[in-house]
Amino acid sequence: MKKDLRMRIGHAPHIHALQSTASLMWGTIAALVPALVWGLYSFGLRAAMTTLAAILGALAGEALVGLVRRRFTLVDGSAFLSGLLLGLAMPPGVPLYVPAVAAFFATAFVKGAFGGLGANWMNPALAGLAFALLNWPQAMGQWVMPRQLTGIAGISGATPLGLVRESLAAGHAGSDPVGLISQAGYLFSPFDRSVTDFLNRVLFEPFGASLPSGYVDLLVGNRPGTIGEISGILLLAGSVYLLARKLIRWEIPAAIFASYALLSWVFGGLAQGAGFFAGDVLFNLFSGSFIIVAFYMATDPVTSPSRRGGMLVYGMVIGSLSFLFRCFGSRAEGSAFAVILADCALPLFEKIGAQSRRAAKAV
Amino acid sequence: MKFSRSFKFGGLSVDLRRNGGDHDAVQNAYLPATATVLLKQHEGAAAHCLVRRGELVREGALIGRADGPGQAAIHAPLPGVVYDIRRVRLPSGGDCEAVVIALEGSFDRLGKREERYLWKSMSRIDILQTLRDRGIAETEQPARPLFEVLRPEKRFSTLVLNALESEPYLQSETMLLAGRIGEVLEGFAILRTATQATQCFLALDATLPELAARVEEAAARLTPTPASIRLEPRYPQDMPERLSEALADKRRDAEGETLFVRPTTAFAVYEAVVLAKPFLERYVTIAGGAVKRPAVLKVRIGTPIGDLIEECGGFVGSPERIVLGGPFRGVAVYDLDAPVTKQTSAVLALSAEETQARRRMPCIRCGRCAERCPERLDPAHLYRLVSAGRFEAARAAGLESCSSCGLCGYVCPSRLTVSEALASARDATVKRGKSA
Repeated sequence: MKKDLRMRIGHAPHIHALQSTASLMWGTIAALVPALVWGLYSFGLRAAMTTLAAILGALAGEALVGLVRRRFTLVDGSAFLSGLLLGLAMPPGVPLYVPAVAAFFATAFVKGAFGGLGANWMNPALAGLAFALLNWPQAMGQWVMPRQLTGIAGISGATPLGLVRESLAAGHAGSDPVGLISQAGYLFSPFDRSVTDFLNRVLFEPFGASLPSGYVDLLVGNRPGTIGEISGILLLAGSVYLLARKLIRWEIPAAIFASYALLSWVFGGLAQGAGFFAGDVLFNLFSGSFIIVAFYMATDPVTSPSRRGGMLVYGMVIGSLSFLFRCFGSRAEGSAFAVILADCALPLFEKIGAQSRRAAKAV
Repeated sequence: MKFSRSFKFGGLSVDLRRNGGDHDAVQNAYLPATATVLLKQHEGAAAHCLVRRGELVREGALIGRADGPGQAAIHAPLPGVVYDIRRVRLPSGGDCEAVVIALEGSFDRLGKREERYLWKSMSRIDILQTLRDRGIAETEQPARPLFEVLRPEKRFSTLVLNALESEPYLQSETMLLAGRIGEVLEGFAILRTATQATQCFLALDATLPELAARVEEAAARLTPTPASIRLEPRYPQDMPERLSEALADKRRDAEGETLFVRPTTAFAVYEAVVLAKPFLERYVTIAGGAVKRPAVLKVRIGTPIGDLIEECGGFVGSPERIVLGGPFRGVAVYDLDAPVTKQTSAVLALSAEETQARRRMPCIRCGRCAERCPERLDPAHLYRLVSAGRFEAARAAGLESCSSCGLCGYVCPSRLTVSEALASARDATVKRGKSA
């Protein structure tokens, strides 16, 4: 045996848990892949280029800051994740400079200027999205129908959420949003019809209920929307992976879901003139960017509280604001702005989460 | 598994026997050709060297005298010639004098029939004096000399036999207890007399019900009969703070301190008092992913750890780090010449797979450290304060109650040296507080 073996020494502890910050980032990216693939299939080459532009923009911003600070941070996955999230939050028809510039802004200014990973106070992807929405509101409203609905990719159309607003503004009334959008000429896929028929026959009719058409499309992702948000079911599948691998904690999404669903049910009908306890929870959950925001953006550890109590309150604030913006606001990206607002109040949530009075004083 | 007792917050459920292997019996390690006996084997001060180079020493001869605070008597673990007296670097920092003994001559104790001394009639002071003369010290960090711990002027109300392994990989306590229940309990009874404690507890590992039952059965013969408590071996259950938390409702309100003693320490006490044997050897766990055949060996003090690893079949692959003690609180060493001391509970050769060492990254505020901290601190926040030099603010946030269990550093995905930074800042503020 080598007697002269010289070991590297270091401080205790000498063993570590498997998880590293980089594996956290790349794990979240992996969880987004199914939703990304669905988005690319639905919207075609244009969507791929949009996502790529966002990722490249984010990496460029990170690299530039890295050059200034003499630190090479591209492999940690955080810039890639910000770029990917921003790309997924883009409408597929947007001009390519929008995602590129917004992503560059996100990593170079929102994150890099404050000191890089861990030092930013606002979620970079959401900040980039807000940047794009404020600068190019027209371009950010270029919705495209997915190929499942129209047969070919690239035909423009309105999102279900936009249609609900339009038809309400035009004076139509009706308690259920799905009914409203079909009145407005929104098409459902043949897939939706057959699955709905099947479910009604097997599951609901024996109990005297029936599922109206349209919901299956919303759930699966046969609808216009941003590249990544449309397939609720694939996003949920990814979130199961995130939770199982303990990449995110359950508290934040659970609080967001609970508060948002409750408010949607109680007050969601008001905008359509249907009174209390008449909201369409399912439609509200699956028609916008709610799911991707709740599981993938609000859970960013850097900008969310680190203790359970704080997480729950933070989640409830996001859920409530999301609902407020969704049903009484004017833009589609309500939940994104809800998270940004909640990020601003982070120190307060941290204080709520501190377990003892001593800790609360110290935070 | 039925609900078992533990502390309240944080901690980590780790497989405490992971990679320790299943050991049937404890074997004596080969005697080393030379033993490097440190004159300081614990916190405190070094003993005064009593031998000169070239001198012949017998097995168990006193070679280091303790006559001041923090010192413990040091004895020759082997018969032989004092080959060298030199300063060696300590793994925990600093240096200290060491006596190098080359094995020669015959053993006075090894292989001889052991004589038994009766201790029941000994007074408290007599026992303390014996423990002091035989150089008995705690067998794990902080490894204070037992005489210092038990000082005549101190009052103890409670005595706890802490039979839980302190950290993953470690097996010495369990192996010793399983093989020597009678001796360990006799040592425990001696300590009961030495402390005059009115309440006694056995803290046993709930995942080893067979062993626990055997210990409980044997302990029923003691007076006063110790109350047995089976605990979930969740790290860091073995630490005094956590044990107190788990015992809180069992303990009658009593004035005085609590002494937590490990089986290996109780065994050393037994040997010192009943067999009149100084601290010459101890149980050492040799384990880790880079060790070919993990084992628990009975090892002479001063044996180089390289010999032990060799005896366990050498390395598999290349070790990433060699640690004396457990993976959470042990000390990393530079080379294989480091000798076994009274507090070396284990020698671990850890593979890269186990250390999971990675490049340091910034804190992403994930909160994993706060989730684990058994003291309910927010290590990430304290780390920020300490890094910014705001020691007073860190103190206000509870820095001083950090018990250095190392869990925050273990879970940190950014591999920040949180626990190390907190420990050194805590020690610095405590020192400053004392001098002020």
